[in-house]
Amino acid sequence: MKQIIKIVLGLAALTAMGLFLFLPDSKPPDDGKIRLRYWMVSALRELPFHVTEFNRTHQNIIVESTPLPWNEHEKKILTSILSENPPDVVFLVTPVAKWATRLALTPLDDFIKRDSFDSSIFFSALWDEMKSKDHIYALPLYSNSYAFFYNKRLFREAGLDPEKPPKTWDEVLQYSSKLTKKDAKGNFIQMGFIPTYGNIQTSIILAWELGAQMLLNDGTRVSLTNKPTLDAFNWIANFYNQYNLKDISTFVAGFGFAEQHGFISEKLGMMILDNSFPDQIKLYNKNLEYGVADIPTFEGHPPVSSTGSWWLAIPRGAKNIEAAWQFMKFAVQKNIQLTEAERQKELLFPANKLAANDPAFLSLNPANKIFVDMIEHSKTPTVIPLAHDVFWREYMGAQEKVIHKMQTPMEALSQAEKTIQMVLNETIDYDNYVRSKVSVN
Amino acid sequence: MKKFKLNKFNKQQAIYGILFMMPWFIGFIIFGLYPMIMSVYYSLCRYDVLRIPQFIGFGNYQKLIFEDPYFWTSISNTLIYTILRVPLCIIGSLLLAVLVNNAVKGVKVFRTIYFIPSIVTGVVLSVVWLWMFNPQFGLINSFLAYMGIPGPLWLLDPNWSKPSMVLMSVWSIGGGRMLVFLAALQGIPKHLYEAVDIDGGGWWAKFRNVTIPMLSPIIFLWTVLEIIFSLQVFVEAYIMTQGGPLNSTMFYNLYLYNKAFNDFEMGYASALAWLLLIISLIITVIQFWLSKRWVHYDGGAK
Repeated sequence: MKQIIKIVLGLAALTAMGLFLFLPDSKPPDDGKIRLRYWMVSALRELPFHVTEFNRTHQNIIVESTPLPWNEHEKKILTSILSENPPDVVFLVTPVAKWATRLALTPLDDFIKRDSFDSSIFFSALWDEMKSKDHIYALPLYSNSYAFFYNKRLFREAGLDPEKPPKTWDEVLQYSSKLTKKDAKGNFIQMGFIPTYGNIQTSIILAWELGAQMLLNDGTRVSLTNKPTLDAFNWIANFYNQYNLKDISTFVAGFGFAEQHGFISEKLGMMILDNSFPDQIKLYNKNLEYGVADIPTFEGHPPVSSTGSWWLAIPRGAKNIEAAWQFMKFAVQKNIQLTEAERQKELLFPANKLAANDPAFLSLNPANKIFVDMIEHSKTPTVIPLAHDVFWREYMGAQEKVIHKMQTPMEALSQAEKTIQMVLNETIDYDNYVRSKVSVN
Repeated sequence: MKKFKLNKFNKQQAIYGILFMMPWFIGFIIFGLYPMIMSVYYSLCRYDVLRIPQFIGFGNYQKLIFEDPYFWTSISNTLIYTILRVPLCIIGSLLLAVLVNNAVKGVKVFRTIYFIPSIVTGVVLSVVWLWMFNPQFGLINSFLAYMGIPGPLWLLDPNWSKPSMVLMSVWSIGGGRMLVFLAALQGIPKHLYEAVDIDGGGWWAKFRNVTIPMLSPIIFLWTVLEIIFSLQVFVEAYIMTQGGPLNSTMFYNLYLYNKAFNDFEMGYASALAWLLLIISLIITVIQFWLSKRWVHYDGGAK
């Protein structure tokens, strides 16, 4: 019996030692300063300016930023919230609503009211995205903006005026056929425009320009079979009637990143690109002669673009809420955003309207004026906040079926609409259930 | 009934045994059994991890089977992949094993060379093959173009995407499977082959009447295992195609992953996981039943 007790004690001691070894050394040095844990999705090698400047100017708070890898960031934040040890501030890009509706974020309404925080400093398209069920959950930090890029050298070679980019989508089609070249075997060696290549979906821009409303009845009904969206899909279908899908796929498969990007490698004459491209072009092909213009539209319709934001928020269960709010408020200020944009050119476009319209920012790049204009005409890619991922999967799936000529736009879109509606109904039902059981602020 | 009784020594031994088992057992209960039981419960709920679960009975299963078109797409994709891949893997490895079983000079070098590719992990393999399959610059289409054959779009063509992924698995035929076949081949008694010689049979008769029956338990084992592995195919599609084009590589586990980690529909994903287990079990039971007809064990033992 004694031996058994010995063994049990021994095992217990070993376990305790093991736990002790793996226990994180979580006790910060006791200097009375608040340590703010800041998790950001970022590939930047150095600390961003809003962190270093905050640390320099604030004596009592130290921001400790941790970069998260893109592929795993959602899961990391999810588990940190579940284990009740979340960071104090997160920097994210996926829709605010995706997190807010799941009660993963702390509402900021009280802070905004207390400090009479002025939200009109942000582009309105970005600010609208920070809301969910009449509460504000985040502050936009950066955004992106899209404009229409065209290659002046290729325009000249094709006999087009390099100072006159296309203004309408009909012109895009005409210019495109002039800019397209094939080799002796019939393979594309140059094309004018490919509506399905790139980060942004040309079809949704077309649909928005024609006035598509995809979410109706106070956010409860999905509409994809409306006339504008059908017309947009018909335009895409028409494009793929003129060009062979297999040839385009082979051509696009030759593209990659950086030097191999379709537009940067001068294989594509026209493309809708984001605000990081002037810098990328400078870096990878500085001889590229390009022009930047407003995104084309249809006769009699205003141009529309798309913008999303990188936002800051406080996860549910964060420890230093007050300090976190101080930091967030600091980061979105005009002068901080301006200096940041000057120092770290790549990828950054201020969410702060005052910073983006400042001569100091506009003079960084001649294209910035157009990007700022386009952002004012932008809609959010978070079309169905409660079913965001499903929406895009279904939307892209429908477009794929149309360009493979497997279904007509009507068939593909009504099928997608049905699937998204089903998910949306369930999400709303689940949400109502949770709200009936748990008190939600 | 005779009562089973332990003497003092055996009792002590048993207690020690149980004590030493405890660390594993506790770990298994916390990290294995508990999550499994909870996933049965969650499969009957709507649950997104961040909020409380909402019990909906068999709603998830009902929706999967009767309403969700992707469920059937993913099942048919996975089954087609399995049917194409498993014979190729088994026959490929078997033939390779027979080949390197010959006592030619330098055979050990060949065995090593054939084994090396199977060390590469799935992610790396996928990235490499992504380039091999590139329709414009890829090695395969460049070679075909050199021969004057226009190559297909491989992963970009919905008709070719699954065969492309099956083709990738040729890479691993020289791996562990071949080694097991090789070991089994060397265990076949020589006198059986001599008997065929005496009867005047050639190499085919030897292969058909001695090698295959003697290897049948191993072939059976690998068929069962490979079908289970193939049903769980994930990495290739996750890295190379994300389920496209036209959902032609939307495999079961990829769909499950999307549901769980993109849409946060953990309840639905749990239901998917349990259905996959049931499907795997049914297929395995059928195989065991069929195996009575073709698998021979030494001395007729089962």
